[in-house]
Amino acid sequence: MSHSIRTALLVVLLATTCAPAAAQEKFPSRPLEVIVPTPPGGGTDIAIRLLAELAEPALGQKIVIVNKTGGGGLIGMAQVVQAKPDGHTLGGLWNAPLTMTPHMQPAPYKPTDYVAISLADSAPTVFCVKKEFPANDGKEFIEHLKKNPGKFTYGNDGVGGTIHLSAERIFSKLGVKTRPVPFGGAGETLKNYLGGHVDIYGGSITPILPYIKDGSNKCLMVTSSEKLVSMPQAASLSELGVPDTGTALWHGIVGPKGIPAERVAILEKAFREAARSDKFRQYMEPRGIKVEAASGADFRKLIDSEYAAMGDLMKSIGLTK
Amino acid sequence: MTTFDYLMGGFAVATRPDNLLFCFIGCLWGTIVGVLPGLGPLAGLTLLLPLTYKLEPASAVIMLSGIFYGAMYGGSTTSILLRIPGEAASIMTCIDGHAMARQGRAGPALVVAGVGSFIGGTMSVVGLTLFAPPLAQLMLKVGPAAEFALMALALLVMGFVSSGPVLKTIAMVVLGLLIATIGLDPLTGFPRFTFGRIEISEGLSFVAMALGLFGVSEILLNMEDVLSVKPIRPTLASLIPRAADMRASAPAIARGTLIGFVFGFVPGISHVVSTFASYAVERKLSRHPEEFGHGAIAGVAGPETANNATTGSAMIPLLVLGIPAIPATAILLSALMIHGVNPGPQLVSEHPQVFWGLIASMYIGNLMLLALNLPLVGLFVNLLRIPYAWLAPSVLLICIVGIYSVNANAAEIGIMAAFGLIGYMLRKLQFDCAPLLLAVVIGDRMEVALRRALIISDGNWAALAQDAFSRIFLGAIVVLVALQCIAWRLGVRRKDLVELKSTSEENPT
Repeated sequence: MSHSIRTALLVVLLATTCAPAAAQEKFPSRPLEVIVPTPPGGGTDIAIRLLAELAEPALGQKIVIVNKTGGGGLIGMAQVVQAKPDGHTLGGLWNAPLTMTPHMQPAPYKPTDYVAISLADSAPTVFCVKKEFPANDGKEFIEHLKKNPGKFTYGNDGVGGTIHLSAERIFSKLGVKTRPVPFGGAGETLKNYLGGHVDIYGGSITPILPYIKDGSNKCLMVTSSEKLVSMPQAASLSELGVPDTGTALWHGIVGPKGIPAERVAILEKAFREAARSDKFRQYMEPRGIKVEAASGADFRKLIDSEYAAMGDLMKSIGLTK
Repeated sequence: MTTFDYLMGGFAVATRPDNLLFCFIGCLWGTIVGVLPGLGPLAGLTLLLPLTYKLEPASAVIMLSGIFYGAMYGGSTTSILLRIPGEAASIMTCIDGHAMARQGRAGPALVVAGVGSFIGGTMSVVGLTLFAPPLAQLMLKVGPAAEFALMALALLVMGFVSSGPVLKTIAMVVLGLLIATIGLDPLTGFPRFTFGRIEISEGLSFVAMALGLFGVSEILLNMEDVLSVKPIRPTLASLIPRAADMRASAPAIARGTLIGFVFGFVPGISHVVSTFASYAVERKLSRHPEEFGHGAIAGVAGPETANNATTGSAMIPLLVLGIPAIPATAILLSALMIHGVNPGPQLVSEHPQVFWGLIASMYIGNLMLLALNLPLVGLFVNLLRIPYAWLAPSVLLICIVGIYSVNANAAEIGIMAAFGLIGYMLRKLQFDCAPLLLAVVIGDRMEVALRRALIISDGNWAALAQDAFSRIFLGAIVVLVALQCIAWRLGVRRKDLVELKSTSEENPT
């Protein structure tokens, strides 16, 4: 009698101690949710959906994309931070809600409230002009802008947006004064640029590419320290002497802080492999987007340095809250 | 090869059995999201977008565009039957469409809306087929200055939309313009009237406001007096439009087609603004303007034609320039990019099967939608047989689910509820909600257009009248104001007397 009770107790004890261990081994145990704080169909949404689809086999679970829009991405990101840190709820984001918007608007989270899991890809911004523009390389472009302070206008993705800030970061360092005209996105910028309403196109590479191919326009500057293979005419920031002012539009995966380290490692491995896959590369590279597949640690460094740089920049141009 | 040969090549793509099926799925789903309040073409497109990743590019855009123009057909249904806009482009249809339904003439209203949609949609595709490249170049010339002038013109025309007293209309317009300033300042990023809430930092959701002001307020008004809302039993004869209906609708459909096609070039808000413009024109040209607001069939035919006629022209900037002018075509752009097709000047030469296949499918899709929607009239009209006590809560539930599913933002349900109460009070006080909503749409665009124009001109106001298009629009404003002043000088004519009389007897609409 007492023996059987003792055995039963032992079984219960074993069961309770073993259960968490077993659960830990089996991660993820249910479908994952990746919150994307933009409407479906945008660049971020497409990149994260593709990445998630490619990470599914390694994780052995479905990944559901949830689009939560509003507040310039702050609402969706707030939800990521508040989620249970068991690794089943993650966020798929671009720069602004992490490093830019929090300086302008009251964000309900700090950079320490989330863990960086992996950086998937990054794409620099290009600055392009009509073929009649009196400059043929980056140096001439900057000199011409300097000679005519406040004369030229450039279209961008909206005030405090990635393109606006990446431009101001370089221009303020080089002492160039132009007038930024905020538009709703690359499409609107392109329309107003092609129609001759603004002088300079500032934006991602894909929309302007057809107009570069037909020779009617030329891109003279790219916001990265290295040159673009597809646009040899565009000067890199190293060539312009300001290699440390580059800001790229990037996409990556983050999660709420407190996810157990071994789970972060599983997620990091799966998402890095997905970004390294041929399918991801084949989608990104023709669009002038660089596949990063960077580690969580490198992603963290990028976020922290960009967060600090953007804070200083936005203070200097009067955009902070 | 001529345009005709290319188009025939397009039909070869579009009539492949699988593409016919995708076209049908798109049209059917478009009709459904159009009918369901809260869900519009944008939500319909985003929900199906991930499914198209596995299709070939031509099939993907054929299906997705079917949703876009199909939603313009479905939107009129709940507007007419329940006075709840199925989507934003059907707000104007609520007014006379529902008044017709109250008179037991929901059938003719739905049939005219369907036929008008077909004619507007098809003619718009004809315009797209024949004139796409030159129209795209023309569109590029409309910059911020011209856009501002166009918005100012639209604001002026809005005075003709409302059947209420002028002062009340102006009050609603001003309130709408004020509401449009909520959210981040487009130039400095400073939050305006947000009270520190990030939920409204991008402004109040237009769809939530429209559903609140028109849908929720209607339910509240009806609740107050349940007995008056009796189920209406339709007979077959009452479904068919009379000869007089057809005579009144035909010119409205013709004008609606033209207005819709032209307004298709207005970036961002073409489908909404075109319906307001069409309604205003019909009311102004009508020999019986007093009937508007009380079941004038031209007030249904015009706007419902106009919103479909925008679909063809809205495609032009996307297909010819690779620039999405409205949110719905932005999704189509993504769908193409996912498949490695980059829309732009090279689209026609590099992917003719996509370009012409899509255009051909739009002819087929419009036919399918007509065939799909006319038989549905008989079915939908039976909705009115459901006792209101059951219908109202179900409709409210659909509104809530619909609005939440678009952005998964719970604040939008709150906005809808708040505007339901505001709409209820306004209508009790006999204010018209339509000018308010249009002012919100226009105010938003007008402000950014003006401020962009002024940055570009470096603060020089004279630049607002320096390009050809802004001069045309500003000229139209001057002519309209002058005509109105002359009309006032000549004194109140008989027509205006009738108008005055009818407004003094105005029902709380």
